[in-house]
Amino acid sequence: MNYDLVIIGSGPAGYVAAIKAGQTGLKTLVIDRKYIGGMCLNWGCIPTKSILESAKLFKRIKHGASEFGISGFDPDGLVFDWAQAVKRSKSIVQKLGRGIEYLWKKNGVEYLQAEARIVSPTEVEADNRIISAKNIIIATGSKPRQQNSFSDAMELEDFFSLEQLPEKPLLFGRGAIILEFAQFFSMLGKKPIIVSTGLPLIPKLDDYLEAYINKRLKKDKISIIPQEELGTIDGKLYHKDQPLDYDRAINCNLREAVLPDMNIELELRDGYIKTDEHYRSSVPGIYAAGDVNGISYLAHAASAQGVAIINHINGVVSEPQTNYPINIYSDPEIAQLGLTEAELKAAGREYQIKEMGLNANGKAMTEGASEGFIRLLFETKYRQVLGVQIVAANATDLISEAGVLLELEGTVYDLARTVHAHPTIAEVFMDVSQEGLD
Amino acid sequence: MNYVFKFPDIGEGLEEGKIIEWYVEKGQSISSGDALVKMETDKVVTDIPSPKSGIIVQRFGAIGDTVKVGNALVEIETEAGEATMASASEPAKANSTEAIDEKGFGVVGTIEVAGDGAYLPSSNEGIAIEQIVQTKSQKVLATPVARAMAKERGIDINLVTGTGPAGRVTSKDIEKHRSGSEAVGLVQTPKMQDAAPQTEHEFVPLTQIRKTIAKNMLRSKQNAAHMSVMDEIEVSELVTTRARINAKLQGTKLSYLPFIIKAISIALKKHPVLNAELDFDNERIIYKKSINIGLAMDTDDGLVVPVVRDADRKSLIQLADEIALFADKAKSRKLSLDDMRDGTFTITSYGSIGGYFAVPVINYPQSAIFGVGRISDKPVIKDNAVVPGKVMPISMSVDHRIVDGGEVARFLNFVLEMLAEPMLLLAYEGGER
Ligand SMILES: Cc1cc2nc3c(=O)[nH]c(=O)nc-3n(C[C@H](O)[C@H](O)[C@H](O)COP(=O)(O)OP(=O)(O)OC[C@H]3O[C@@H](n4cnc5c(N)ncnc54)[C@H](O)[C@@H]3O)c2cc1C
Repeated sequence: MNYDLVIIGSGPAGYVAAIKAGQTGLKTLVIDRKYIGGMCLNWGCIPTKSILESAKLFKRIKHGASEFGISGFDPDGLVFDWAQAVKRSKSIVQKLGRGIEYLWKKNGVEYLQAEARIVSPTEVEADNRIISAKNIIIATGSKPRQQNSFSDAMELEDFFSLEQLPEKPLLFGRGAIILEFAQFFSMLGKKPIIVSTGLPLIPKLDDYLEAYINKRLKKDKISIIPQEELGTIDGKLYHKDQPLDYDRAINCNLREAVLPDMNIELELRDGYIKTDEHYRSSVPGIYAAGDVNGISYLAHAASAQGVAIINHINGVVSEPQTNYPINIYSDPEIAQLGLTEAELKAAGREYQIKEMGLNANGKAMTEGASEGFIRLLFETKYRQVLGVQIVAANATDLISEAGVLLELEGTVYDLARTVHAHPTIAEVFMDVSQEGLD
Repeated sequence: MNYVFKFPDIGEGLEEGKIIEWYVEKGQSISSGDALVKMETDKVVTDIPSPKSGIIVQRFGAIGDTVKVGNALVEIETEAGEATMASASEPAKANSTEAIDEKGFGVVGTIEVAGDGAYLPSSNEGIAIEQIVQTKSQKVLATPVARAMAKERGIDINLVTGTGPAGRVTSKDIEKHRSGSEAVGLVQTPKMQDAAPQTEHEFVPLTQIRKTIAKNMLRSKQNAAHMSVMDEIEVSELVTTRARINAKLQGTKLSYLPFIIKAISIALKKHPVLNAELDFDNERIIYKKSINIGLAMDTDDGLVVPVVRDADRKSLIQLADEIALFADKAKSRKLSLDDMRDGTFTITSYGSIGGYFAVPVINYPQSAIFGVGRISDKPVIKDNAVVPGKVMPISMSVDHRIVDGGEVARFLNFVLEMLAEPMLLLAYEGGER
């Protein structure tokens, strides 16, 4: 069997690349040993957001409904139906999975469920067959690093099969996921602990956001214990003379590449597949996209890389995209795009920062969501906006406006003259940019 | 509708020109192919012909003004039929290549027609242009920062090639756009200087001619498979023959170059592949009917290559006169585009300045270049004895894709035979047996 392109892994890197490949006439085969959609669709982005939404609604009804004028129920008698929350998330995942399959079919992409192995730069073995390919994309994703402190820790992939939620979960690791999970439990009235494997808790975030997160976690009464402060007495884990009190440890560790079995030598960088600006590996014809190349741990970055590879295969010249928003679906949500203050400083650029809170914004008030702010980082010469940071209930959507602005090299002037509808939370963008005019 | 004719890309990588003389007046009627204006560029002086027939409604720019490629030259009220056609097809043709019929348009066969957005919407080109802009131009796609940077650096953003989606001009494109013309008189602070203000480097913007040379050299090296051959030839006979001829000549004296041109012209007839070009895209070789010899000339501004047309049909004296004329024109930057077009083979006599052997770069897409070094006194062996001789070193590069080694060797043997024994030029002139 001969293909123009074989893609190993059907996560956001693989499946998006496959659709684009099909659309541009490449004979394409996707191989995945598990489920269509990869980590992102089956255990990551989508299902976690679904259960987080359940938890947010639960908290809102329990603690906020009466203020909004809704009564006739006993807030203390409110029950969180975990099984139903999971069921809801599964049905969303299924729908989206079928959507991917439909798009593949429509664009002539073939799919094979099997473990794939690379036997030569142009051959992949799967399902006891040798498949020839002019190009191969490795999009096999990542998994949390193993850890030794908690031998009984569960992996996130198994979390959704739990029959009952733990009361005192211990979340071990670092990154956005740990914050989302901690708040998930806390919104349901459980008592989560974070054991952080390093600082800052969320890599790549601006110090200012990190500080906000620490403040917010304190308010939520979620404690963060640095791993190095843990000790063992008689085989039990202790923190400052206190035995660690948890009923379930969950591995939220930073991630490492999942490499397919292969017969060829691929150059690695810190355990990830080393790639150039076109996501080419050290072996001609083999590309690597998504978590496996270690450039980012974000689904949208994985997809963008997948598309860039297809463009490259087709000889279409496109500038690599580098502005990936970092979204955290916490309560309230957090989003960051572009350069951080530390990066601006390091680059020796002259910059200004303007920030405006949501507390005077009409729409935010009506929604009972006035916690948060929008922060603009711009250089002082042309006033080009180089970084945007948002804390808001809908920050992960608000950041898209900043995405267009940065992509088009927009300035605070452009933002300030863009009429924003009233009332919207997005108006804060316009207001804060007015502050940035000279 | 009226047709606005913009200063076309006349090839050679030129981006702007100076108006030397207007041949047309407002209200004058012209035919397509008539010369409109005489322009001087960094490299040549050339007439720009009109692409359409009609009446001149407006002329842009006065004598001495610099006009950039893509800027309006004249507005022509075209005859009814043609006018509707022009207007109907124009938007779709923005930035495309317009085929021009032969008449009066030897320039480059086709002329790049600058898009409608190709002239400056923001002032400094006179009210007349602005009026047209209002009705015809669309703003070039550019990011806000790119616009601000271009404005600050005095760069016409319409002339910057955008690499963003849909050709959007981004800040990077402005950074990259350091064209000589735009940079003149502007102190641009390059990035490196920001980092190290005490740097001892001087940053000089490229001139048009330098850019053209750079582009052509690179194109040649990237496209042709260079192969070089070197040899030496004893030319005592040529030295004395030349001296004898010069003793009798009035006016222009002969240098060695006319002899070399003559010998090469004769040999090219026998070895046409050296007077050919490879048309790889169409999988064919184009054999040139004429023998037009380009002569590489060093000027203060850089290298120029005027072309002696039909060299095979000219006498040694005619060749000498033509060389002298070209040398004069090159020095005073008076070479016209016509003077430099249509070369089929090039000779570089680097030895006139210095140097023995060299590896000349082919004047692409030609297939060969012949280099002559300095003639020097050297011992040679004649009739089993070491005697003083006059030795001329030669170096030749060919495009090995179409010229085989054996072919060059045979060609060279023939040329060198004639240079060693110049009387043979008489014997072979006009064709062999
Ligand atoms: C809990 C959680 C929440 C997340 N939330 C977000 C979020 O909100 N937003 C966001 O942007 N990112 C989020 N992420 C990260 C996101 O899921 C990843 O960045 C993304 O899935 C990476 O995509 P990928 O295509 O590189 O790999 P994956 O999605 O991991 O897909 C890799 C696929 O390759 C297959 N595979 C591996 N090896 C082989 C082999 N040898 N043969 C055949 N198949 C193989 C696997 O079965 C898998 O399906 C989250 C991650 C987790 C764990």
